Amino acid sequence: MSSESAHQHNAACLELFAKLSEYLDRELEPDTCEKIEQHLKDCPPCRSCLQTLKRTVEFCKSMKNKPVPSELSSRLRSMLEQLR
Amino acid sequence: MMMRTKAESSKFKKNRKIDQDTALIEAINNGDHELFTEIVKRYERPLYNFGLKMCGEQRDAEDIVQETFLNVFRYLKDFRFETKFKNWLYRIATSICIKKRRKSKFAPDHELSLEEFIPKDPAAGTDRLPKWAALPLDTVLSEELYNKLQEAILELPENYRLVLVLRDMEGFSTAETAQILNLTPANVKVRLHRARLFLRDKLKGYYHEQ
Repeated sequence: MSSESAHQHNAACLELFAKLSEYLDRELEPDTCEKIEQHLKDCPPCRSCLQTLKRTVEFCKSMKNKPVPSELSSRLRSMLEQLR
Repeated sequence: MMMRTKAESSKFKKNRKIDQDTALIEAINNGDHELFTEIVKRYERPLYNFGLKMCGEQRDAEDIVQETFLNVFRYLKDFRFETKFKNWLYRIATSICIKKRRKSKFAPDHELSLEEFIPKDPAAGTDRLPKWAALPLDTVLSEELYNKLQEAILELPENYRLVLVLRDMEGFSTAETAQILNLTPANVKVRLHRARLFLRDKLKGYYHEQ
């Protein structure tokens, strides 16, 4: 039986699933991290779940800011002139 | 000019947050109003992009920037450095965004539950890491991906979108996001996790279509 077909939604998987973001953000207590890492070693579906979530966050963080339209910049500066 | 008692003055100094904007804000509040242009220079681009991510429309994003600076100009004299200036600025921008969205035709808010993101069939090949998550980041980034991501962000209910944009795009911490949105840190974490899972599912769909 492959590891994937053996995978069930057991309590450890569900607990991990709820805490994946906190784990990625290093916002969990060391004990909980250790427990999660132990689970990840033996659970390929949970590892995959973590990696795809991690990649999603990386995509968000890598989004570049667009330049400000020049008309908006001019409008802001003339607004300031009027307010002074 | 408002006079502080000794106790108030000491509390003020203790709670005062100093950052890269402090000197600039002090100079403006001491009368150098020319320097307000410097605030605009520092924050027009991040605010414009925050507006774009929140509303998806250039015109709405421009309105958000303009109204935010207008409010900053009006109320800066009352800023007490109890938070970083940037956090105060985004608090203003956020409330303008929320008001704007309420007036608009966009989708009503709804709650996302964790259960809806739990893989339905964990035995269906979920342990194989898909290419988009396995390959180096640089090799999978593309304009089309960013467009899909932006579309997915706009599909998020607003209260989740705000948290995601502030945390994962604007770089605020959990505590700062909680302060900006007037939420508990625990609530920020819950919303962020569900928002990320929502985006992850959309990305899975996008790569599956390809």
